[in-house]
Amino acid sequence: MDLPTPSDRSQPADTSKRFTQRSAAEWVTFIVASLILLGLVGLILFDWQTNQTQPPAFAVTVSEAVRVTDGRYYVPFAITNTGGRIARMVQVTGELNIEGADDETGEQQIDFLSGHETKAGSFVFTHNPQGGDLVVRVASYRLP
Amino acid sequence: MATSIDKPMPQAEANIWLSECQAILQGAVGGFLFGIPLLYTVEVWSIGAATDPRWLLAVLAATLIGVGLLTQVEGFRQTLSLHPLEALLESIEAVAIGVVCATLALVLLRRITLATPLAEVLGKVVFEAVPFALGVALARSTLQGKRGRNVRAETSSEPEADPTANRRTTAPLSRRLSSPNRGNLGDALVDFDAALIGAVLIAFSIAPTEEVPLLAASLPPLWLLLIMAASLGLSYAVVFASGFTDRAERRQRGLLFSPITETLVAYLVALLTSLAMLVLFQQLNPSDPWSEWLSNILVLGLPASIGGAAGRILI
Repeated sequence: MDLPTPSDRSQPADTSKRFTQRSAAEWVTFIVASLILLGLVGLILFDWQTNQTQPPAFAVTVSEAVRVTDGRYYVPFAITNTGGRIARMVQVTGELNIEGADDETGEQQIDFLSGHETKAGSFVFTHNPQGGDLVVRVASYRLP
Repeated sequence: MATSIDKPMPQAEANIWLSECQAILQGAVGGFLFGIPLLYTVEVWSIGAATDPRWLLAVLAATLIGVGLLTQVEGFRQTLSLHPLEALLESIEAVAIGVVCATLALVLLRRITLATPLAEVLGKVVFEAVPFALGVALARSTLQGKRGRNVRAETSSEPEADPTANRRTTAPLSRRLSSPNRGNLGDALVDFDAALIGAVLIAFSIAPTEEVPLLAASLPPLWLLLIMAASLGLSYAVVFASGFTDRAERRQRGLLFSPITETLVAYLVALLTSLAMLVLFQQLNPSDPWSEWLSNILVLGLPASIGGAAGRILI
């Protein structure tokens, strides 16, 4: 490796002149840095304006593509926070009611669900959910 | 630095840009060294994700003030005395470098993906940028150990002194008496010793935490290649590209290992150190699948290789 040493700008010079000694490259760095920070602040303000007024709300979709492995039925689901604010400990329950058999329930807890975020998972049942009544819903959540 | 081993270069036009890039790289390296431990902290991600935007602005302002105070005495550039306004400009640059590095690191560890909502991205970036920005501001002082000591050694003893004379070695005569190759081998061993110490220092506090399996589990298989590339690139950047270390000394000793070979071997040392630490903390068991071993080792290998690189230039 043979890169040059960082230029030594510590030569004795009176401090009033020093400020103008900032090189063009350093000014470019400063301009890019300011743009990055201003962009970040702008995004934070934008997020504040748009999202923080909407409380969490949930939409749960259950996929039709049930997978069968070793006699068990895997039912994929996806939950989306359609509100703006984050929800914690979101509890999703799946209940399968089949006539002539015991009810089966599945529970799923999602630690964090930000606004507009989607998380996916699966419920596992021993009976075919197509032969019964499957209800998937959000039971509860906590605000941070 | 007041003295430099290399001859002073003429102040050519291209040189300004190259040295500026180098200064930014130095800052970024310092940021990674400080920021990595907090990057592997699940609480910081969740706090960031759940924080109010107004609070994020306050955290950003506090970071700027903290970095501004540090820049009065330190900084990522080599300049020794600053105009107060110039210090303000440099601290803005330091915070921006911290923000960029934190974002890259969060993307690398898949804490930020295309599916992550904006509010969560902003929270994570702002909180992780705090240690990165402080690291950037401290880059010059943290990463200059060896060169600083060499300067002191040279001024106190005769000018032709061996640059490695102030380092402890278990075989003091081998370097001068035996063939040059054996002396180089001794130096290489000292280097890898240093890499081992650095890797343990940084990664030991991360190894027992649950973040390692958590991160490893969320990475797609091919993403591990990216982690490896980043580990090697950062390790190379710390030791060779950022110019912290004494290049004249490296050139003397570079006969045995080229920079790239040395980086590769140091990465292997970091991976073996990670393996040893994970087994020591019973994070990995023989019953776990081999893919889990691989991903956990590579995920812990990132901080270990950065620590190892820092160790090689400091010890």
